[in-house]
Amino acid sequence: MAGDSAGLSMRQFKAILRKDIVMELRTKEMITSMGIYSLLTMVIYQVALSQSGTAFDPRNIAAGLLWLAFVFTSMLGLNRSLVHEKDQGCLEALLLSPVDRPVIFFAKATGNLVFLLIVQVLTIPVFAFLFLQQGSYAGEWWMIPLALLAGAVGIAGVGTLLATMSVNTKGKDFVLAVLFVPLMYPLLLAAVSATSAAILGGDGSVQQFWTGMSMMAAFDAIMLLASFALYEFIVGA
Amino acid sequence: MPPDHTLMAESATSDVAVEVRGLTRTFGVRKALNEVTFDLPYGAFLSIFGPNGAGKTTLVKVLTTLTAPSKGTARVSGYDVVADAVELRSQIGLISHNPLLYPDLSAEENLVFFADMYGVADAQSRVRELLAAVELDHRRLDLVRTFSRGMLQRLSIARALLHRPKVLFLDEPYSGLDPHAVDILDNLIAQIRSDHTFVMISHDLTKGLALCSHTLILARGKVVLSAPREEIDEAEFADVYRATVGMGVA
Repeated sequence: MAGDSAGLSMRQFKAILRKDIVMELRTKEMITSMGIYSLLTMVIYQVALSQSGTAFDPRNIAAGLLWLAFVFTSMLGLNRSLVHEKDQGCLEALLLSPVDRPVIFFAKATGNLVFLLIVQVLTIPVFAFLFLQQGSYAGEWWMIPLALLAGAVGIAGVGTLLATMSVNTKGKDFVLAVLFVPLMYPLLLAAVSATSAAILGGDGSVQQFWTGMSMMAAFDAIMLLASFALYEFIVGA
Repeated sequence: MPPDHTLMAESATSDVAVEVRGLTRTFGVRKALNEVTFDLPYGAFLSIFGPNGAGKTTLVKVLTTLTAPSKGTARVSGYDVVADAVELRSQIGLISHNPLLYPDLSAEENLVFFADMYGVADAQSRVRELLAAVELDHRRLDLVRTFSRGMLQRLSIARALLHRPKVLFLDEPYSGLDPHAVDILDNLIAQIRSDHTFVMISHDLTKGLALCSHTLILARGKVVLSAPREEIDEAEFADVYRATVGMGVA
């Protein structure tokens, strides 16, 4: 019976994830809006720093700019991932089915992670072109992708939980932002630290990178477990 | 006619599809449901009437596990709506005035998705069978957002029947349907009438009484009248309904 239950849960997980991806590929609502917003943010940063003079090295703040863009972009997209569930009562239909609520959470969070990673892949070349001149990236090539992945897992997990909480509220965008930024603060700090270490290099940068990665891994694990435990309560509230 | 729960209660045994005892649901200080009690045997068709805000939709939401009761108990198909919620969900289906379908998926994709959610064996053939039953097989690959209201409702019926539920909840299923769609829905209900227990919310007294075997009138969260259909005098029932609801017979 346990095997049957696990098999059904996996089938349900795949069904929700596949449905979200198919609908996104069809409508391109999330990826288009998040992608364009992220790219525009990069351009605005570049314009804002254009008069900073030659003495200022944009690499010193590049990691912070990158993660700011991803945080704002995430808030834009995460709400949309739940809003289409509300259309015509689809969330109700989902909740009527015999699915364990954490399965819904993990499927929605995985879908959001996929979309966020796509946006990151689109954004990084523009970021590198605008803020990292040739040869100015000091770290190993795999360091930034690893930091981006760890950060994206946390954003997708916490963001999915908070988007579910805020989707039934009147000012859902505002509610999501108010809850999201304070909760994401530790992750953001660790992500900026690890990404900065990768970009700037220098003495102790490898240790700084792994310290940031460890913090992000711990944040991801705690938040995913908390989301797993709380999702039944939140989705039923 | 006072509430008489014994009229419907054919003893709380295994032949009872829906068993409600002292069910109360509060939202803040407002009691949407107030000590609601009734039984419904398997194979029955219960029509629930009442004015807007009477608690009809809240009652269906509690019975379908979408809302937890504040007090009292309810069992559907033998499962407690709180303690056995996951098991109960595979025993029930809901047809609402909202289609509960994804507009950016095709008819077939919607049904396959919900078949996966319910763990339906041989999903593809079950989906084809139901699409044919609701006369939508020729539109199976079309996006649901292109469907008319009547087609949406037919597909919604197919979605609700996918997992062969024992108890079907209908929340104003005729709302907004054209006469042709009403005929199709009538025919579909007639086809599955003998195999299912129905709980329907309706504002249409004529339609509700024509379909039902049992009736219930709710007002301000309380049961005002409950009785089997054959024990109801239509004129008297309409008077009670009018007095309670404050509106004419639909």
